[in-house]
Amino acid sequence: MTSRDKTNWAATLGVAVLIGIAGYAALYIAPEERTMHEIQRIFYFHVPSAWTAFTAFFVVFLSNIAYLTRRDLKWDWIGVSAAEVGLAFCTVVLVTGPIWAKPVWGIWWTWDARLTSTFVLWLMYVSYLLLRTLLPDSEKRARICAVFGIFAFLDVPLVYFSIWLWRTQHPQPVIGGGGSLDPTMRWVLLTCWVALLGVMILMVRQRYRLEALRHDAEELAHAVEERAR
Amino acid sequence: MKNFESLFAAYILVWGILFVYHLTVGARVTKLQQEIERLKAQLKQ
Amino acid sequence: MSIVRAAAIVLAKELRLEFRSRELLTTTLVFVLMVIVLFSFSFDPTSEESRKIGPGLLWIAFLFAGSLMLNPSFAREQANDTLYALRLAPVEPFAILLGKILANLAFLLLTELLLLPIFAVLYNVALLPVLGRMVLVLLLGTLGMAVTGTAFSAISAQARMRELLLPLLLLPVLTPVLIASVECTAGLLADPAELRMSWLNVLVAFDIIFLAGSYLLCDTLLEE
Repeated sequence: MTSRDKTNWAATLGVAVLIGIAGYAALYIAPEERTMHEIQRIFYFHVPSAWTAFTAFFVVFLSNIAYLTRRDLKWDWIGVSAAEVGLAFCTVVLVTGPIWAKPVWGIWWTWDARLTSTFVLWLMYVSYLLLRTLLPDSEKRARICAVFGIFAFLDVPLVYFSIWLWRTQHPQPVIGGGGSLDPTMRWVLLTCWVALLGVMILMVRQRYRLEALRHDAEELAHAVEERAR
Repeated sequence: MKNFESLFAAYILVWGILFVYHLTVGARVTKLQQEIERLKAQLKQ
Repeated sequence: MSIVRAAAIVLAKELRLEFRSRELLTTTLVFVLMVIVLFSFSFDPTSEESRKIGPGLLWIAFLFAGSLMLNPSFAREQANDTLYALRLAPVEPFAILLGKILANLAFLLLTELLLLPIFAVLYNVALLPVLGRMVLVLLLGTLGMAVTGTAFSAISAQARMRELLLPLLLLPVLTPVLIASVECTAGLLADPAELRMSWLNVLVAFDIIFLAGSYLLCDTLLEE
């Protein structure tokens, strides 16, 4: 086994352990919530997933800037990897939200501020990935997507703020539950976030590898074509 | 436990979604690796 | 040549181009009118409901208009490679972008101002007492659409399926503009009419952020 494989295995194992700890903490260590009882434990992965998605999208933003300043395709690969992984976590948020809402509020969707903002975020990054498929040339794709990615991320605070303001003026049931957190709950929440960040890093690395391989395959295909001429 | 099924479903979905995504990327990686081997062999001829 | 002067020249060119055939303006106007009428079939508005859903419908109609009108901004430069020619001119790239933004702003505003009285009549809302403030809201909201839409037009012009791509890219990003504009408009149509400053500030913030972004990224946007 190469040393690279070894670090991969160690990292995967480490993250698996973290997930185990986080899961145990969320299900057993965290105290039972007063009004929602067990269903509230979704919170320990619902909220950190949103934070992780946001972190991933921030990474996309940074890699977009890096690409435009350095024009090294590797930054574009990081960008698309982080975008896809971020979208996966975003999907998790959008799926667990309604599952939480239905038993508690009786309805699947309430246009709650965080969920709605996450939905818009999800749409923006789906557009980002769609844009990629419509640009065949790798350099043009990297450049154009970097520009769109920067605009999209600049929009994120505006999206969150405007939807929050909208919701405070027209209140609806809040899925996340308001109010302050018990300190134990806060610790469990953070533990879960760390675990999810570990998962995010692993997934981004693997997706990056896919992109690098795709690039190699393209070059080889070109070389074969050149030879054939 | 109240609403245990929903909690269960949610946790399964959280890890399910992440796992499925991870697996699809892995599958594409393997496919590409095979493609690269094939192209390399073609080049050697 | 200063940026303002160069932008004015580009603006004049865009206006002249459009007013020669007026096809974009007329098509969009008719389309938005149809959208507004069709909405009324779906909702059957009485006076009270109109005031509640009117602003939302109005701005959705404007968003549709924008998605249609903003495409040709850069798409038409693709046909004869005219963007390359434009960039050869000894002007700042931002001047070209600014000229197009202002042109799009002008077209959109014109369409909206023409539609406003029709909307007022069809949905029975009192626009005259708040006309000045309404125009301000229109201006700020449409500026947001124009800035973002022009930049995204430059982006989508280089991709395939650009007519479908532009709304797809634009609409999620314009969410703050939609919400803020609708809230401002709703405030003006409410009883008593008020200009909701917090929402107006959201529009201003959006406009400033995206103008700044366009300025910083204009070189890359116009690259080919």
